[in-house]
Amino acid sequence: MFFFQPTTARIKFSPTNILLNTLLRVFAANFNFRPGLKKYLKSDQGWIDFTIGFRTDSGSVKAAVLFKNGKVSVSKIIPEKVDTMLTFHSDGAVLKLLGATPTEQIFMVLKGQLSPKGNQSYLNLFFFFLSLLLNSKQKKLMEKERKISKKELLKESPTAKTELSDDLIKRFGVRMKADTIDKNVKYLKDPFLSDYGLDNFPRVKKYLDIHFEVKPEVCPELPKLVTDWHKANGYETDKNGKPWNPLLRKAHAYKYLMENRKPLIRGNDLIAGTTTTKDIGVVVYPEGHGTMIWGELLTVPHRTLNPYDVSEETLNILHHEIFPFWSKRNFKEWVREEYDSPLCQQIDERFAIYFIWKSVTISHTIPDFPKLLSMGTSGIISEINDQMKSFAKNSNEKNTLEAMILCLEGLTAYSKNLAKTAASAAASENNPQRKAELEKLAKTCDQVVEKPARTLDEAVNAMWISWVGLHMESTNAGLSLGRLDQWLQPYFLADMEKLNSGPEQAKYIKHAVELIGCFYMRCTDHLPLTPDIANWVFGGSSSDQAITLGGVTPEGDDGVCDMTYIFLKVTEMLSIRDPNVNARFNPDKNSDTYLKRLCEVNLITSATPSMHNDNEVMASLEEFNYEIEDLRNWSATGCVEPTLSGKHIGHTNFQMMNMVAALEMALNNGKHPLLNWKLGPNTGEIGTGKINNDNIADKPFKTFDDFFNAFITQFKFIIDQSIEYNEMLAQAHQVIRPTPLLSSVIGDCISKGKDVTIGGAKYNSSGAALIGLADITDSLLVIKKLVYDDKKVSFADLKKAVDENFENDPALHAMVTKKVPLFGSGSDEAVAMADRIAKFAHDYYGSKKHYRGGKYTVGFWSMSNHVAYGTLTGALPSGRLSGKAFTPGLTPEPNASKNLLDNIRDVARLDTKNINNNIAFNVKVIPTPEDTREKTVNDMFSYVKTYFDLGGMQMQMNVVTSETLKDAMAHPENYRNLLVRISGYNAYFVTLNKDMQLELIERAEYGM
Amino acid sequence: MFIRFILSNRPPPNHNLLFDDNMMQKTPLILDIKGNSLDDGPGIRTVVFFKGCPLSCVWCHNPESKKAGAEISFDKTECVGCDTCIQSCPENALDRKNPFFIDRAQCTLCGVCVENCPSGALSMVGKTMRIEDIVAMAAKDKPFYKNSNGGVTLSGGEPTLFMDFLSDLLKHLKDEGIHTLVETCGLFEFQQFEKKILPYIDTIYYDIKIHDPDAHKQFCGVKNDLILKNFIKLNAISAENGLELLARTPLIPNITATDKNLNQIAGFLKTLKIRQARLLAYNPLWHEKNEKIGTQNSFQNNKDMTTWIPKEKLETYRSIFTEKGIHTG
Repeated sequence: MFFFQPTTARIKFSPTNILLNTLLRVFAANFNFRPGLKKYLKSDQGWIDFTIGFRTDSGSVKAAVLFKNGKVSVSKIIPEKVDTMLTFHSDGAVLKLLGATPTEQIFMVLKGQLSPKGNQSYLNLFFFFLSLLLNSKQKKLMEKERKISKKELLKESPTAKTELSDDLIKRFGVRMKADTIDKNVKYLKDPFLSDYGLDNFPRVKKYLDIHFEVKPEVCPELPKLVTDWHKANGYETDKNGKPWNPLLRKAHAYKYLMENRKPLIRGNDLIAGTTTTKDIGVVVYPEGHGTMIWGELLTVPHRTLNPYDVSEETLNILHHEIFPFWSKRNFKEWVREEYDSPLCQQIDERFAIYFIWKSVTISHTIPDFPKLLSMGTSGIISEINDQMKSFAKNSNEKNTLEAMILCLEGLTAYSKNLAKTAASAAASENNPQRKAELEKLAKTCDQVVEKPARTLDEAVNAMWISWVGLHMESTNAGLSLGRLDQWLQPYFLADMEKLNSGPEQAKYIKHAVELIGCFYMRCTDHLPLTPDIANWVFGGSSSDQAITLGGVTPEGDDGVCDMTYIFLKVTEMLSIRDPNVNARFNPDKNSDTYLKRLCEVNLITSATPSMHNDNEVMASLEEFNYEIEDLRNWSATGCVEPTLSGKHIGHTNFQMMNMVAALEMALNNGKHPLLNWKLGPNTGEIGTGKINNDNIADKPFKTFDDFFNAFITQFKFIIDQSIEYNEMLAQAHQVIRPTPLLSSVIGDCISKGKDVTIGGAKYNSSGAALIGLADITDSLLVIKKLVYDDKKVSFADLKKAVDENFENDPALHAMVTKKVPLFGSGSDEAVAMADRIAKFAHDYYGSKKHYRGGKYTVGFWSMSNHVAYGTLTGALPSGRLSGKAFTPGLTPEPNASKNLLDNIRDVARLDTKNINNNIAFNVKVIPTPEDTREKTVNDMFSYVKTYFDLGGMQMQMNVVTSETLKDAMAHPENYRNLLVRISGYNAYFVTLNKDMQLELIERAEYGM
Repeated sequence: MFIRFILSNRPPPNHNLLFDDNMMQKTPLILDIKGNSLDDGPGIRTVVFFKGCPLSCVWCHNPESKKAGAEISFDKTECVGCDTCIQSCPENALDRKNPFFIDRAQCTLCGVCVENCPSGALSMVGKTMRIEDIVAMAAKDKPFYKNSNGGVTLSGGEPTLFMDFLSDLLKHLKDEGIHTLVETCGLFEFQQFEKKILPYIDTIYYDIKIHDPDAHKQFCGVKNDLILKNFIKLNAISAENGLELLARTPLIPNITATDKNLNQIAGFLKTLKIRQARLLAYNPLWHEKNEKIGTQNSFQNNKDMTTWIPKEKLETYRSIFTEKGIHTG
């Protein structure tokens, strides 16, 4: 990478420069002369050579640190060629960086005090080296921060309000019975399964304890095996120097991984296979964002939020054997090299405007499980072999199909290895019951995944083993499980038909609940690798493995069945964040009883499932003319987004877009205030408001529409940039990480002989998550009404107040927050404004060419980015103050109305035709303690049902009071499993960063 | 739960309001229309609060609901101190030195200050509304009523003070197919009620606060003979045609919530063969409400009046009813 430094500026005297150079020399000396440190300069491939440059905007500081052939040297002159350049906003920031914790380092980047350019792996490596010297200080700083924060919280709330935490626990004890039975429920006498609680399932209960109590640990197995294979077989070229076909390279490496990874069965489990070798393992995908953890390897076990253990052995493997190999062989660096650090990538790496998920992974789809279950890998391989005949030798298609076979063989090998593990464990097992279970498991894994599943146990095991297999192929972010109730019901029915007596059937139903419970807990056996920044941007999120229940069958019949209620029972009992349970409610076909059960589970778990209006979601996809059976087979992916199960690569979260950045840029003529970066086009300065010589106020935006157009111009600019980066990263995926295994279970890839990364799937699209709709709508309404319609304030004065965070104009702040009807207040104008913005976004994204065919889609949900982006945004015309969170998803601002029904009505009447990637509408409702379970459930039911009747698309309820959340902040030990809906996904409240906790507390709360 | 127990400093009874033909035919001021109420009858409901009441209970509901005329309310917690109102008041009635900010003797209720207040700290309490507008506001919640078996509750103040208006409003609501419920203190002329109101209501929530007539006069400003008589008549009608009638007693510490009073009320209901009644839990969070409209509250430092009634005590009160075969759930 090349960075040309201006040579004309004369270096001014700067004490910081001298200090920095001195400190870097101390740093260099340590590594040059202390063998304990020097060893880290070397990888198993040789010395790690790279250069980092340091400078300030003003040019007051210049230095470079060079790593070459095992020597560290410091230069006052920055060489022309550096791998990574750190540009600091001020002298102070330079020294701050060197003494900062990893979290502080991130915030320096986020807040524009430091802008890094160039290779990020090397930057992280440099941070790792710093951390080798400073980690004990970093740990002490982190510990101190924690203590101060805890002390503050305890000062506010010294004693735990156990009645609040007890109240949440008591919810599990009350259980309603179903008063009707849905027509496709064949065996459950009480579909609500009210006889069962977690205490009836000690095996699962124990797993739940492990889930909450065992500290996750980074697992090096996957990157180690994959890296070993590449070292032996080449990466860019094979052993003979011939360029690798990326698909075949990937497939061979995958097969090697699957054949050689440890086949483990967790103690006492009914399901074989594990994602990692640890109880709860963190998977490192080195070609994705793996190297981002490099700088934090020493501190990650000690950080406040979501700490993981990293053993010394793991650290050494990652540092010496793995990360150096992948420093340039990952998505981001591929784009940086190929496109020479494009602007669109620079914007992404400053975080405040958009985040493109392809820098980590594509994932976000739903494999065709029914196919895998009914055919087995052997069946799919024969299908591929048949197909192979129609393609020419050495054609891309043929290579693609060969790659699929290799992957399927790898998967089969893994399940056969599991069978062996089970058999040998059975042989040495003394407990007869467990022995029998293990023997059964050995037979199961021998049958599946190779051959078709015949029973529920085989089907669930086959699903899990393939799930592990898919996770071994690609980073899991929102890879989703789909319509498990629909797909498992046939196996459940087949098993039940074989049983004659009532007691046998009852026993089997209990077994089915336990088996699904084990499956949920299996899904918790791994966590995504999250550098600390992810705790701020995606706080508390797991990988969001969505399960979808209910709705209609592909033929249009009522889809609610026995397995629907079995999944709901497990969801209720476990109350865990992931799998992320989504329920489809089809107003024409599904019963009120089912919807009431969804509400009851939501009440008990306080946050899940998320509920979707089947008709509206399908209507929002009408424009694509999907085949009706496929459309009816949609499932939620990741958070809430619709994907046509098994046939669709919808990369439904290709980006998190901060729409509010466009508004800020429009207010500042293209400059982003916090980043202090003029990156957008000129759209005009907001006037000073002064009267000029012609007695006309200096006002470039004569009408509101003029300003709206400026916003649109800035919005288009950031959309264009973000899509450009998406398409570049898409190419990186085609080269670095094709996914032949996934392609073998996504419709049409086999017949086309095409990988999913280049458009093999039957349906293709990429979906955006657009953040800040309510905040923008409200801000634009304030501008329209107060500046243009009522002329109560000049645009200049409003802009000035915004720039000053309203600190000098409380009356104006009161006016904008109180006197303008906001989105969610029942105002027609507000809904029209929201629709106008959504329609623009929908149409513009929809007009952009999409690299795999299909379209770009838009949704209005935010994961937790409404908090992160809020932190990086100044005050807004809506009166929202600087740094405060935006509203989650498209939820109205808490001030909009005291009446929840106004919120519900406004969200429901938005035009869903503009929203083809779904929404997240959060509602916080509070039951009255004296009310009966039935009354509370009926009230919740009335809200959801009416919202759906009015055309609402999706709703998620948090059923917990702010008072309880405050108590949980101060006394987290009483709330380990307090589940909350963020925006689209669930998280444990106590694992969230403080900003996110406060955002949840400040959400509008509606009593019931 | 709407904060409903507000007390005034023993104002004179509003006898003059009762049976005043003028009043009966007058258009009331509407205090508030509150949607999404889950505690004022079955299902999700819209509650229309009328301004003006013939009783003067010392613990009263909402002090702003007592007078039939408009008032200006000042919520100091919302005030941002910009003084726009002080500068704009044509009567110079606003001064931060005034005990309640507004000198109500000088104020002519012209509303200029309310108009100019940016924060909404100053507001006009009570406005005239057309029946069609009230019905339209309620009707937009019909989808919610449908799924929850909810409807509209007419409350106050005392809605029966305005018989003609109330009657007309009820008719319109029934035309819309909306479930109607009236909350009343029971102090009305029965014939009028029977003729104008009864045909259009599905449910009546009827307050029986204090049984002893003298105590009733002491705490509510009027005797209760008419209230009890009216209740007996309605109960007879209810037994005959299935009109839903629910007697309710607000639990006010040391006033209505005494063993003696509750025993008397339960006994009275029992003689009428009533099986279901309701005790309204006391909500102590109302004290600052007086201040907003410039009244005082002599119970501010009364411990019983500023705390929630303990759970055990509530249970004892309930048991008084349960022992007489009356459910209070």
